[in-house]
Amino acid sequence: MERVLILGGGGGGAILANLLPKEEFDVTVVDRDEYHVFQPGNLFIAFYGDSIEKYRRPIRSLLKPHVKLIRDEVTEVNLNDRKVKLKGGKSLEYDYIIIATGANLDFDAIEGNRELLESYGDFYSTLENAEKLYKTLKEMREGRFVIAIADPIYKCPPGPHKGAFLSSTLFERMGVDVDVVLALPFPHAYPSKTISDIIEPELERRNIEVHTFFTVDSIDVEKKRIYSLEGEELEYTVATVIPPHEGPRYKIEPSEVKDESNYLKIDKYTCLIEGFDDAYAIGDCTNAPTSKSGVTAHLQAEVVADRLQGFDAKYSGRTNCPLITDGMGLFIISDYDHPPIPVRLSRFKRLLEDLFVATYWDAIRYPELWQPIFHAYFDATSPAKLGERGW
Amino acid sequence: MPELIKVDARGMACPGPISALTRAYRKAKNGDTIEVLATDPGFKPDVQAWVKRTNNELIELTEEGGVIKAVIKVTGKRG
Ligand SMILES: Cc1cc2nc3c(=O)[nH]c(=O)nc-3n(C[C@H](O)[C@H](O)[C@H](O)COP(=O)(O)OP(=O)(O)OC[C@H]3O[C@@H](n4cnc5c(N)ncnc54)[C@H](O)[C@@H]3O)c2cc1C
Repeated sequence: MERVLILGGGGGGAILANLLPKEEFDVTVVDRDEYHVFQPGNLFIAFYGDSIEKYRRPIRSLLKPHVKLIRDEVTEVNLNDRKVKLKGGKSLEYDYIIIATGANLDFDAIEGNRELLESYGDFYSTLENAEKLYKTLKEMREGRFVIAIADPIYKCPPGPHKGAFLSSTLFERMGVDVDVVLALPFPHAYPSKTISDIIEPELERRNIEVHTFFTVDSIDVEKKRIYSLEGEELEYTVATVIPPHEGPRYKIEPSEVKDESNYLKIDKYTCLIEGFDDAYAIGDCTNAPTSKSGVTAHLQAEVVADRLQGFDAKYSGRTNCPLITDGMGLFIISDYDHPPIPVRLSRFKRLLEDLFVATYWDAIRYPELWQPIFHAYFDATSPAKLGERGW
Repeated sequence: MPELIKVDARGMACPGPISALTRAYRKAKNGDTIEVLATDPGFKPDVQAWVKRTNNELIELTEEGGVIKAVIKVTGKRG
């Protein structure tokens, strides 16, 4: 039996663990947390007031019975010696390792950002902070709610837009006069001009104030102002700034496998860590030139599961990032060979997104049952097929 | 000492070469030069808009064999 060690029981790690046949592999997952968090749930807690319980499950309950789970923090990985050290003192060995510990959010990189988080909460870091943001927003009667970004590489590229749309609906439901402000590091309202042209009218219709070329440099919590690298400033009543993300902070030998933001350097198709044939990285912790998203982590997990079973599987770079407003939705669809295709906002796609959310726990627990359904979807909506016709 | 910062954003579409430039700009100081190589055709108008908004100087903007080269003198950073 091959010993497979998976670091992280989030979207990527849990699916991979459940996909590996128990007859062939002895699988162990290590995670420092008791719970697996469905991160899009942050939005539904922060802007709809949903309960935390809806969006987390004990990791144990999501893994098949034969998968071993160790609850501990990874402190050191040695790819040369095939050894992993845990905070609790344990040392683990493996035949294959998959690093899937996600992205770290660095709230100390930008002056004032930790104070901002502690004062108002946010919709990116933890479900508890999302609950706090909901309470903060519910108290607002007037002024400006600012959503801004500190670095152009962050998970779920349409996340801030979803926050802007959903908060504007919340304020409308509350009957208060709060302006929603969305500040983005990009030249347009979305990194892709195609998508930007589609959502701009909708942002305008909802009176969401958009600032482009605005990358947060620092925050003055006394004066309630956010300053950008590009030389501008924004005033806020309540604000949330998505912090710079980075790869794992724990030590990895050899250190050259990390880039300058600590992301693991992988082959974008095979997910193998550069220079190794027994070590992979998937999900938000890698430098793959595609969106950091749950869909990416899921598709990469399938690729690695296939490769470990001897198949020559490759990840196409496919994304399927949902952008939702209160009643409508669209999916940002691209891959390594195709920039985002033109897509329309529709009620049906919002429904489809709600369906994806509803199936999430089941899709993690039984990926093999959902695989044909997702494959049919990804195939029918592939950029090569939909191309310029759009969707 | 003014530095020359090189950014290779060839083959990068999303979030794109402007994002790579933004990341380099965070580390730069006034007097430095940033050189960006990109293949995304949207980069040309974007970088022109970027220097205007940020009060930096575009010393060179050329295209050769599908590769766009932009050279920027950093002058717009706040103290
Ligand atoms: C607001 C928001 C909305 C989003 N919406 C969408 C969406 O609609 N669609 C989509 O596809 N994606 C979405 N995403 C992104 C998606 O949630 C992530 O991309 C996805 O969770 C990445 O999976 P992962 O397995 O790489 O990492 P994670 O799911 O973050 O899991 C990492 C795991 O590793 C563990 N870990 C970390 N460090 C250590 C350590 N040192 N030792 C032990 N364990 C460790 C953590 O506890 C965690 O369980 C959204 C994200 C946010 C924040």
